[in-house]
Amino acid sequence: MNVQVENHDKVLVAKVEGRVDSSNSQDFERQLQGAIGEDVKAVVIDLGQLAYISSAGLRVVLLVAKTLGQRNVSISLCALSDPVQSVFEISGFNRIIQIYDTQADALAAAG
Amino acid sequence: MGDRDRPDYKILVVDDEPDLERLVRQRMRRQIRKGKYGFEFAGNGVEALEVLTEKKDIDIVLSDINMPKMDGLTLLQQIPEVNSDLRSVIVSAYGDMENIRTAMNRGAFDFVTKPIDFTDLEVTIERTLRHLDEWRAALASRDKLVAIQNELDVATKIQQSILPDKFPHVDGCEVYGCMHAARNVGGDFFDVINLDAGRIGLAVADVSDKGVPAALFMMSSRTLLKGAAVGVEDPGAVLREVNDLLNETNDAAMFVTVFYGVYDPSTRELTFSNGGHNPPLVVHPDGSSEELELTGGLALGAIPGFEYGQARIRLSPGDLVVFFTDGVTEAINVSNEEFGLESLQSLFGDGRTPAAREAAEMILQAVQDFAGEAPQFDDLTCMTLRVADE
Repeated sequence: MNVQVENHDKVLVAKVEGRVDSSNSQDFERQLQGAIGEDVKAVVIDLGQLAYISSAGLRVVLLVAKTLGQRNVSISLCALSDPVQSVFEISGFNRIIQIYDTQADALAAAG
Repeated sequence: MGDRDRPDYKILVVDDEPDLERLVRQRMRRQIRKGKYGFEFAGNGVEALEVLTEKKDIDIVLSDINMPKMDGLTLLQQIPEVNSDLRSVIVSAYGDMENIRTAMNRGAFDFVTKPIDFTDLEVTIERTLRHLDEWRAALASRDKLVAIQNELDVATKIQQSILPDKFPHVDGCEVYGCMHAARNVGGDFFDVINLDAGRIGLAVADVSDKGVPAALFMMSSRTLLKGAAVGVEDPGAVLREVNDLLNETNDAAMFVTVFYGVYDPSTRELTFSNGGHNPPLVVHPDGSSEELELTGGLALGAIPGFEYGQARIRLSPGDLVVFFTDGVTEAINVSNEEFGLESLQSLFGDGRTPAAREAAEMILQAVQDFAGEAPQFDDLTCMTLRVADE
């Protein structure tokens, strides 16, 4: 698992690669929370290179979404592979977190 | 240093030579003044044991061998009974290999020879203290590991203690559930709840994350679900109530996926609401199977005020419903392949569906056979409902 961060103006794009499960979800949380600075106004999490996410990983996404929600910072996900998309659909998280097909779509909406 | 009353290390000098105390205080005056070493003195082994009994913070015993009442070699044998968290350094006559050998065999850490060379003594003391520090650090991290292990054992016990081990005997159907917990976790649970008019509440759930917090979250989820199930009719309303209660105190953003259904044997109807859980599989006597629809739900604990939908199907005689957690379908073998839904479906052939218990045990066995030597990361939970044959 690896998180790479790019800044597009005040929109933070975090690209997550590999697998996120209970063995590395704490590390995932640290990397993600650590990347989000004070002056960010939107966060886009690009899951294009994410092979697998377990419920422990979903918890981190939910935690970050809740924390950002309290700060009025928008959060969205993009480029989900079919298996990852299905995890978000079954858990119902696609109903509470905005998901876009591509990073460009997510950035346009966040812009 | 820091605390002037408490030196960094305390050394007990045991010798029947009365001049030694004055000599040590004089030669070690700088270390004493800096607060590095503090010294205690005893005239023989018996006095030394009295000091060690009274003062538990001695780090080093520096002892002569030949003394009245109790000699240094006997003292070495007695020390561990009074204090095992110190190291002994023996003072012997030059070339007295026999006593030195005996002392080392009795647990002395090092030795110095008479007449005492104080430069050499200081080197020996420093070396002994370094060793003692490392030893204490190793002990501390071992204690921490033991504490973590105990915590995980608690999680496992909480998880196991709440699972039903008796299943209702109801005309027209049978129910069974089992779980193989992964090492040191607490995530899954299932429940079978007796409702009025012979109906049965069936729940299977999976808490995000592991360990004691997850086990406690699971415990309260299960209790809330049971309470709501008895008082509220519709499965969707049950999940809504549990979700709202779980959201009242949930800073850690934990959540639990729950499938909850109510089966009425008199009509063979299963009414269900899916709170973000992987959908159960309905297996028919001809070996075909399909997943129950998602009901537009959401994992419980995520956000308050969510409205949970529900759906209803009528089962046929001989149908088998398999409720499970994603530990079953996402089990990984040594080649990193997933067990998957298709493997689960392919376990059932044309002909009579297996009995509830037989089916649940067959599924968990198949998953474990598939996983082989690969470590089990997630709990495996399987609950089955089988409608009686006509």
